[in-house]
Amino acid sequence: MSHMTRREFVKLSARMAAAMGLGSSAVPRIVEALDQFASGTLPVLWLQGLSCSGCSVSLMNSDNPGPLRILTRYLSLCFHSTLSTATGALGMEIIHRRIDEGAYCLIVEGSVPRAMPDACRIGETFFTDQLLKAASNAESIIAAGSCASSGGIPGADNSPTGAVGVPEFLADNGISTPVIRIPGCPVHPDWLVGALVHALKFGVPDLDRQGRPTMFFSRLVHDQCPRFADYEREQFARTFSEPGCYFKLGCLGPITHADCSLRLWNNGVNFCINAGSPCIGCAAEDFPQAVSFPMFTKGPSRKVKKG
Amino acid sequence: MSRSSVTIDPIIQKTPKMSRTSATIDPITRIEGHLAIRVETASGRVAKAFSAGEMFRGFEMILKGRHPLDAQQITQRICGVCPISHGMASVLAQDEAYGVKSTDNGRLGRNLIQAANFIQSHLIHFYQLSAVDFIDVAAVASYQGNDPGLKELKAWVSAQRSANVLYPAAPFLPRYSGDYARNAELNIMVLKHYLDALDMRALAHRMCAVFAGKLPHAPGLVPGGITETITAKKIAAFESMLSKLRAFIDGCYLPDVLETAMAFPGYLKEGKGCCNFLAYGAFPESSTHDATLFPSGVLTDGNLTVLDTERITEDTGHSYYASPSGLSPAAGQTVPGHDKKGAYSWVKAPRYNGRAMEVGPLARVMIDGLKRDNSPLKQLTEKTLGKLNIAAENLASVMGRHIARAIECKIVADRCAHWVEQLVPGEPAFEDFDIPATGRGTGLTEAPRGALGHWMTIRKGAIENYQCVVPTTWNCSPRDDNGTPGPIEQALVGTPVADLDNPIEAVRVVRSFDPCLACAVH
Repeated sequence: MSHMTRREFVKLSARMAAAMGLGSSAVPRIVEALDQFASGTLPVLWLQGLSCSGCSVSLMNSDNPGPLRILTRYLSLCFHSTLSTATGALGMEIIHRRIDEGAYCLIVEGSVPRAMPDACRIGETFFTDQLLKAASNAESIIAAGSCASSGGIPGADNSPTGAVGVPEFLADNGISTPVIRIPGCPVHPDWLVGALVHALKFGVPDLDRQGRPTMFFSRLVHDQCPRFADYEREQFARTFSEPGCYFKLGCLGPITHADCSLRLWNNGVNFCINAGSPCIGCAAEDFPQAVSFPMFTKGPSRKVKKG
Repeated sequence: MSRSSVTIDPIIQKTPKMSRTSATIDPITRIEGHLAIRVETASGRVAKAFSAGEMFRGFEMILKGRHPLDAQQITQRICGVCPISHGMASVLAQDEAYGVKSTDNGRLGRNLIQAANFIQSHLIHFYQLSAVDFIDVAAVASYQGNDPGLKELKAWVSAQRSANVLYPAAPFLPRYSGDYARNAELNIMVLKHYLDALDMRALAHRMCAVFAGKLPHAPGLVPGGITETITAKKIAAFESMLSKLRAFIDGCYLPDVLETAMAFPGYLKEGKGCCNFLAYGAFPESSTHDATLFPSGVLTDGNLTVLDTERITEDTGHSYYASPSGLSPAAGQTVPGHDKKGAYSWVKAPRYNGRAMEVGPLARVMIDGLKRDNSPLKQLTEKTLGKLNIAAENLASVMGRHIARAIECKIVADRCAHWVEQLVPGEPAFEDFDIPATGRGTGLTEAPRGALGHWMTIRKGAIENYQCVVPTTWNCSPRDDNGTPGPIEQALVGTPVADLDNPIEAVRVVRSFDPCLACAVH
């Protein structure tokens, strides 16, 4: 299809419109949709709920492809609050028109204030309402990061907003569009870009029961940990920064599915355990765990005198 | 003005379409988070402005009852643009609460981590968030040179325009119509550096991750120092990345800001603001933390005084909180009250001695300039003012804030070269500690956007109370209980707005403060 000329496109679209029983007024829309998909870019609408923008910043850390190449070769990013030149009413016009036209991938960053809709407003509307409209008309939905996937920190114990992830909120409201969940606090750029490019070029990647791409989330951090041998030999660190396994510091690598320990972060520079700090399970479904479940379980320091 | 005499319609009410004397700009894009600005004009200038934070998560409530060590991890997630600042404020509060002092390696490692995130934050703010309000992005269509990035961008823009896509060249277009730069050379140069800055800010994050573990949301900041160990290889990696960033700051960022400022001289006057400045100081230069690269201070009515945190209070009269007004952060409360009459923002209104205060690079430059005789920051500021042939009072302006930010970025990056040389491989960067059952601590530092404070109390081994007063809480604050507008609200007053459908002048003022709303409300 990519070899087709524009004239052939229009002809094909007219035939498709006729076949689908649509009037000629539908032709420009179909041409447009085909144009977008055939040019190899995915129309994307990016919305932020209860978010910190950390997943957007993490996406900008993507390397090969870098952000410019992502924007020009893969995504047709019609709106993104952190990057769009359009602001105010002009920004809202783009969001509304994109939703009306349909045929886009919705990416959501941040969780949904289910119990307190006025905890998040955009363009004089509640984010919850905006999300329902955008999700209903989307062809596909990606929940980017732990907040959008399962509520994250805004949805932790004692949350005043009753924040939940996108899949839970949509299910509550009877919207059945499938959601690809890509957890992580923040999301790793490779996980997001990898899933997007796969969806664009080869179809939806293989997903696990939670809707996560298996290529990134099928194994535990612990199983691929560079300190796994220390665990086997029961060489446990007593505190931060020490050599040895961080199991006794409350490392959540044993319950967290993610490939951080092989993929590393920031273009392979480092990752939590290599930096002398336990995994806090930021990609785990229950992140950040219950109020009574500490991220660390550090014992007394050596300074404490016995007796 | 008494509180009862101030009536503000909730900003969510639609601005009447036919009205040509007010506009609600919502969302303000190219900042962090959810901000709405309403301006009311008289004779073509802003007469009143209202700044409304539109998103609330309740971090201070979520932190209650948790293990104290969770704090530096959870508070980093307040903001994905400056997580390090919150991590720093939190570990400083915990250092005090636990009675632990970082080693020299730990102090230097923290400085390098914090500095690296300053650099990435300042670069993204100028190029990706602000420059496109002044530079003409469309100029790339007539680009004739051979730069690969610009050629790629040009080819893409022209393909988008002929491909009949819904919004061609989004997210770079469409935009407000306005007086964008006409100088083709300036437009192309800054656009090229916009593309380069995409790589450079990612490089700054990589540099940060050498000692912090990963970015955004770093695991490596803990009470007692940092978790990463110091090795010769890590020092060399940091130095290598730093040299590239310093070359970019010296050769591109600082010159681009100055040239853009000179192309828009009117913005060396617009957006003056309240001219009260507050800084807590940051980047300790000695193990006792008494000398810092950036000093603390309070500047009101032209008088510099010593910082006294007891004078900080937060009003909630016009904020969506049921918690009382005027509390000091050490005893602060956060109880949402979203139906409250007269409230129009999720941001509280912090005040120093009852005054609205601007925080950020401009505040740091102003306070350093009055407090110090010959600091590198002061020297570079004076040299820059001379080069541009402008007066010091021009710094209190839209372009002045951009200039102050670029100047301090260079100072911070230059100082990193010194700090990284002081690291000693093999020596500890972490000092172990014990967590008392009861304690309290205050962590004061400087985020890229200004003075940041965390106040923490511990009881029965868990967090009893945790309050954050964040730079954008100061800058984006709504009116206080006396009806005094916040710094951005004040800076907008007097700004000429030629076309209320395209209020580009107003958003230029707002963006000069580098607002971060996820921080401001948290």
